[in-house]
Amino acid sequence: MYKSLLAGLLALTLAGPAHPDGGVYDLSEEEGLYTPIADVPLHLASDTTQLSRLYARQPVMVALVFTRCTGICSPFLLRLAEDMRALDPREKFKVLVVSFDPRDTQADMDGYARLFQLGGDDRWLFATTPQIEALTSSVGFRPTWDSLSGQFDHEALLVGVNGNGYIIRKMAGIRERKDIASLIKTLTGEFIPSYPLPGEDRLLSCFTYDPVTGVRKPSYGLLILLVPAAITFILMLWMGLASRKWRLKKS
Amino acid sequence: MENRSLKKVTSVWIITILVLFLASITLGIIMRFNQGTQLHLKPNTFYATLTTHGVTMIGIWAAAGLVAINYLLSRYVKTSAGLSIFALVFTVIGVVMLWMSTFAGNFHAAWTFLYPLPLAPYAAWKAWATNLFLWSLVVFGVGWLVWSVGMMAQILRNYSITEIFAWQHLTGKEPEKKTPPFILISSVSLIGIILCLLAAVVLLVFFFMEMYTTGVKNDALLMKNLTYFFGHTLANEALYLGLAAVYELMPEVGGRKKFGTTWYVALGWNCTMVFVLTAFFHHMYMDFVQPGGFQIVGQLASYFASLPAAAVTAFSVATLVYRNRIKWSFTNLLFFIGIIGWLIGGVGAVIDSTISNNIILHNTLWVPAHFHTYNAMGNVLLCLGFFWWAAHDFSGTRDTFRSHWPTLTLLLIGGFGFVLMFYLGGASSVPRRYAVYPEGIANGAPLATAAAWFAVVYLVGMLMVFLTIIRRCTKAFSPAS
Repeated sequence: MYKSLLAGLLALTLAGPAHPDGGVYDLSEEEGLYTPIADVPLHLASDTTQLSRLYARQPVMVALVFTRCTGICSPFLLRLAEDMRALDPREKFKVLVVSFDPRDTQADMDGYARLFQLGGDDRWLFATTPQIEALTSSVGFRPTWDSLSGQFDHEALLVGVNGNGYIIRKMAGIRERKDIASLIKTLTGEFIPSYPLPGEDRLLSCFTYDPVTGVRKPSYGLLILLVPAAITFILMLWMGLASRKWRLKKS
Repeated sequence: MENRSLKKVTSVWIITILVLFLASITLGIIMRFNQGTQLHLKPNTFYATLTTHGVTMIGIWAAAGLVAINYLLSRYVKTSAGLSIFALVFTVIGVVMLWMSTFAGNFHAAWTFLYPLPLAPYAAWKAWATNLFLWSLVVFGVGWLVWSVGMMAQILRNYSITEIFAWQHLTGKEPEKKTPPFILISSVSLIGIILCLLAAVVLLVFFFMEMYTTGVKNDALLMKNLTYFFGHTLANEALYLGLAAVYELMPEVGGRKKFGTTWYVALGWNCTMVFVLTAFFHHMYMDFVQPGGFQIVGQLASYFASLPAAAVTAFSVATLVYRNRIKWSFTNLLFFIGIIGWLIGGVGAVIDSTISNNIILHNTLWVPAHFHTYNAMGNVLLCLGFFWWAAHDFSGTRDTFRSHWPTLTLLLIGGFGFVLMFYLGGASSVPRRYAVYPEGIANGAPLATAAAWFAVVYLVGMLMVFLTIIRRCTKAFSPAS
């Protein structure tokens, strides 16, 4: 038992990192924002179209999956479907699910849609594309083929594309419903309150924020606003007392 | 001798301010014509022009108020012509630095220069332009701060701290020593100016710490608070300086008894002093991370800062002119119309400072509408009234209205027409700070063109005022004066 554990640890150490250059894990939610998404041809259940024809009609939320995925794709799509049903801003945007696996056929995608009971839902489109490289590179998505497991090593990615074809939001991983609601608001042009968080390198922040509880509290930075008032008060007091002495002397 | 020096330096101040004012109006007209698509500036040039126009206008009319009270204070206390010269030299140097930073260096972060924009690596101007812009503010600040503290020190030599605030009038009994309204308003305003200039010092120190040291990053919310603490307060206090001149001169020029300080005048101006210092929070409504209490303070202080001063002044001026034989001169008419412009602009400001309205009006032309009303048709006319009076005082000529009614007509039509276009734009949600309006904003361009033509009319009126004043001000340098 002890030996096998040691051998296992040794094997892991020698194997080194699976993705020495960062691989799928260097996926950034900021990279490529406000740049155009690749306008690729799409094979849908009923016809073939260009991505630009979709986003020209209404904003599009793009989800990248592959049907043989034994990992994150199914829970990701299941959760997204639940969130969409709960949030339900119908007719405002489309959810385009595109396979990034060249082996996937349109029939595979149709089956995938039925699996999640989304086949009859107009808002959802399941597609394949012959130019998947162009699409994935334009959104900064880099799946890596793992021949041992016969799977793509990849992160779940949801991309918001506005009516002009620009990537306006990217979300990695399975996210909470409030994040999806925020993405929908971005897509539909609603105001999203956002503010840079007070980092440790910030000098005298005006507020603190706890990301766990979502509570923000006033902080020491606000006290700086009292400094000009305090200096003026001291200055006035000093001048007032000094001039009183001067007046007494004069009288 | 000192009085003669004071007259001379006041004359130079008046001419300098008016020259810069005419130049800045021209910049404003160029911008409105550009928005009306009659001119085609590059976007960078438009915003550099906007920056120059904004900082110059706020600066010169704050300085104009200081010039007025510095001159009129000599009636009550000893004032220093030397300090005025010192401030003048610093102001001129500051203006040269500012205009170089914008027109030669292409700095165009607007008068608000909100952090982190001036330091942004993607900014379309050179680092030296940011340096020059911020150092120009240092130069302005040093000149005015030293001058203001100097004036305050002189007032305190004759009046105690409680007397400058007229607290002895609050009891309702006849005080042993009365505080003239001019001393009360000047003191209240000077304290506000000293305070907001110190806020600018803190702001600039934070900027410089980030610029000249490594590893220091400022907090955007703190920097914005400091920017408006300085900028909003300065713009408001500048107005009150103009009002101080009105309290001092309007009854005198009209041949009436001087205004006295009553308990309600004292109370009103004390309230204004306190509340105006926190009214700037209404600029932070969109910053939802600002503590909620501050937002409420911002709304309430906006009401309480403006209402006492406005009510007391409107009442005082109304009692002066209503059913009273008053000698109307050009000076008094400028004061009277200036008060009306201030009140109209003030109402526009209070509407905008109400949170529920601000959500709609915040980034529309309503904002330049109200501040142009209480500046171009408010503070400018109040200070111009002083300039007109001083020019006639220096030259020993009679101030009449008879030959100047065309000038006043041009100022009224041009000025109110100009701000009306802003209000109409604001009411139809035309956004502010656009160099060119997109196609979807149909009203933007025609309103801008109309505004530009009204501003041309206003400019012609101002040129006529300038020519009259300059002729009379130069008399201050003649040996006989």
